[in-house]
Amino acid sequence: MTMFHFFNCAILTFGPHAVYYSATPLSEYDTLGTSVKAAVVYLGTALVKLVCLATFLQVSENDGFDPYQELLKALIGFIDVAGLYFALTQLTHRNISQNHKFQAVGLGWAFADSVLHRLAPLWVGARGLEFTWDYILQGLEANANLVLSISLAALASLIWLRKNKPKTLIPIIYACAGIVATMPSITSYLRRGLGWYFPKVVGFELFTSLVMAFISWQLFSACQRPSA
Amino acid sequence: MAFSKNSGAGHRGLQESMYSVISLVFILVACVELCDAAAALNVYRLIQYDMSGSAFGSRFAALNHHAASLHFPSGADLSRTVLIIPLSELNITFVREYINQKKPLGGLLFLLPEVFNSGNGGNKQVHEKEKLKNLLAELERLLIHANLPYPVYFAFENDEIDTVLADIKKNDAIGQPATATTGGYKLVIPTPEPKKVASPTITNIQGWLSGLKADGDTNQLPTIAIVASYDTFGAAPALSVGSDSNGSGIVALLEIARLFSLLYSNPKTRGKYNLLFGLTSGGPYNYNGTQKWLRSFDQRLRESIDYAICLNSIGGSWDNELWIHVSKPPENAYIKQIFEGFSNVAEELDIKVGLKHKKINISNPRVAWEHEQFSRLRVTAATLSEIPVAPELLESTGGLFDSRQFVNETVITRGVKLVAESLARHIYGHQGKNVQIFADGGSLAVNPAYVQSWLDLLSRTPRVAPFLSKNDPFVMSLKKELADHTDEVNLQHETLEGMFTFYDSTSAILNIYQVASVTFDLLLLLALGSYLIVLFCFLVITTRGLDDLISLFRRPPSRKVKTA
Repeated sequence: MTMFHFFNCAILTFGPHAVYYSATPLSEYDTLGTSVKAAVVYLGTALVKLVCLATFLQVSENDGFDPYQELLKALIGFIDVAGLYFALTQLTHRNISQNHKFQAVGLGWAFADSVLHRLAPLWVGARGLEFTWDYILQGLEANANLVLSISLAALASLIWLRKNKPKTLIPIIYACAGIVATMPSITSYLRRGLGWYFPKVVGFELFTSLVMAFISWQLFSACQRPSA
Repeated sequence: MAFSKNSGAGHRGLQESMYSVISLVFILVACVELCDAAAALNVYRLIQYDMSGSAFGSRFAALNHHAASLHFPSGADLSRTVLIIPLSELNITFVREYINQKKPLGGLLFLLPEVFNSGNGGNKQVHEKEKLKNLLAELERLLIHANLPYPVYFAFENDEIDTVLADIKKNDAIGQPATATTGGYKLVIPTPEPKKVASPTITNIQGWLSGLKADGDTNQLPTIAIVASYDTFGAAPALSVGSDSNGSGIVALLEIARLFSLLYSNPKTRGKYNLLFGLTSGGPYNYNGTQKWLRSFDQRLRESIDYAICLNSIGGSWDNELWIHVSKPPENAYIKQIFEGFSNVAEELDIKVGLKHKKINISNPRVAWEHEQFSRLRVTAATLSEIPVAPELLESTGGLFDSRQFVNETVITRGVKLVAESLARHIYGHQGKNVQIFADGGSLAVNPAYVQSWLDLLSRTPRVAPFLSKNDPFVMSLKKELADHTDEVNLQHETLEGMFTFYDSTSAILNIYQVASVTFDLLLLLALGSYLIVLFCFLVITTRGLDDLISLFRRPPSRKVKTA
């Protein structure tokens, strides 16, 4: 029965990635290689972030919210953005349209993030006899993360890959990208500073991910139209 | 040709190392099975033993069932459930009925109030202590003589288990007993099958204090023996500390040894009697150890024993009345002498002492008192005890209810004084005279701190003989203590043969998990499946269009259609 629970949580955490790949035209154009490369870049980014965190951050005894430490963590979080930039621009992709490129990169990014952060706790914890809601919530969080990663990849590709953007939209694009990039700090502030419980935080993440996805979709389609 | 072979071998070697690495990773990962239970507590198993071939006690140790309380809906099938019964809610007739009718049960877990936990020195005042004590004694008697084909455990109440039990009661009240499909709490004790204890040893400790031999006297000095059995037997061997039976006897013996060693250290005050102190084992099993100890004696030594005093349970609140149990008829001159000596001292100490005579039946293997083993070898002996009637087999042997709370050290101190004074008056020839040798406040006064500290130690040490190894630290400490007070100490190791066989696995750690039912997981699977299907359809519609979705389900058009 407990392996059953593990299986359930695993398909909740990793299923949407597979579904996304097979449902969208990504599978038709065989963009798996791009996703894999993006996943590898994420791994490298995670290592660099780890080293920076270990060097610069102090471990606090209490679990409270320290603004200075959180600011430092947010700054280190921007290494994420740099990694995404590298994955989008520097890697050589086969001839795939920009539309599909950002989706593939976002998908690979989100998949690597889920595997690194959620697979080990799932394997160790969900197989035990004791039942908690944590792993289901973690799966929902993975879903929200997928949407956020794809929106971030979309906005990043707008910033760096598309040269002709309507002037008015540029600040909005940057603002949205900034919000999505700092999402980890926002959630940790909610959890530690305001003391929100895990279900509430996950609900907030799902909501904001849908909102940001909608906004970035609108922005992307607005930029698709040839500028007048 | 050779090159390809080498590369082939190289590839195979690489493959093998890859496989070994992968298998190692899998093993490592499978071993990491963290225990994050709702609660974990120490539990102590009911004793499992065979007596003359019949099986008694709880025959199983491993447990992996759902938990239920006493409020389970009537008629529910409990063959895969563990009943959790706190002592305060125990209905002894219910349990007796269950056991006698051999109804199937997954297991039993009894929760005892903290007051019975000698290890923690539970000093809390619990009302109705006496009632609980009697109830526990009755439960113990029932369980020891029953054959239970399921695990039975005892545990002490604490906050964690109380909340879990309250939750279980709530679930049971709704009418949903925990089974595999409705969730609830699961009790898991992962211990291996209990094994027989191979050749259990019983160790007798004897201390010899030599009397004063006058120069030129070749005769053997007479000896007085003071004996107490130190092992216990109870429903839960890991909790059988026997504070009264026979912790009080051991403490009294040690204190008497200490006092007489002080007297005998100076040749001017050394008596003309040898003193033999015996701490025997195998008491609950018809005083098997005492018998072996006596048989090992030299004939001359046995004949030189004037009389023996056996101490058994003198620490409870005996309401100022002690009994001297004898097997020789009270008209016997020696018995009269002993009894008079004790009565005189008892009068001064304001204690009542009565004489009880019980004839021994040589053909009956049952030995109810320790002095009977002496009497069977024609040595005059008596047992001093607060128990008025001879106990049955495996009764009054230091069970669960015999904890520190129910023993009184002042009572033991008075008992020590009684025995020591009587012995001293006999040794020094002051019978009938009003002489206080061990007067309070003097240098030979009974030391209450000594009594208390040894009583506390004994109340923390379970002493069931088959589970005490030859070099058990407790046995060694008794030997050392006796060596401090006597001239010569000997250990005698014997095997406990005869009708008893014991099984190990006396304590374990119980894990309580809160589990979800199988239906919950199935529903979750259903929900997730539909979510993924909806997501798939949504993505196909938004990115490729509705036609593509429909085309996925339509069969590919038949190739046989030929355009005209």
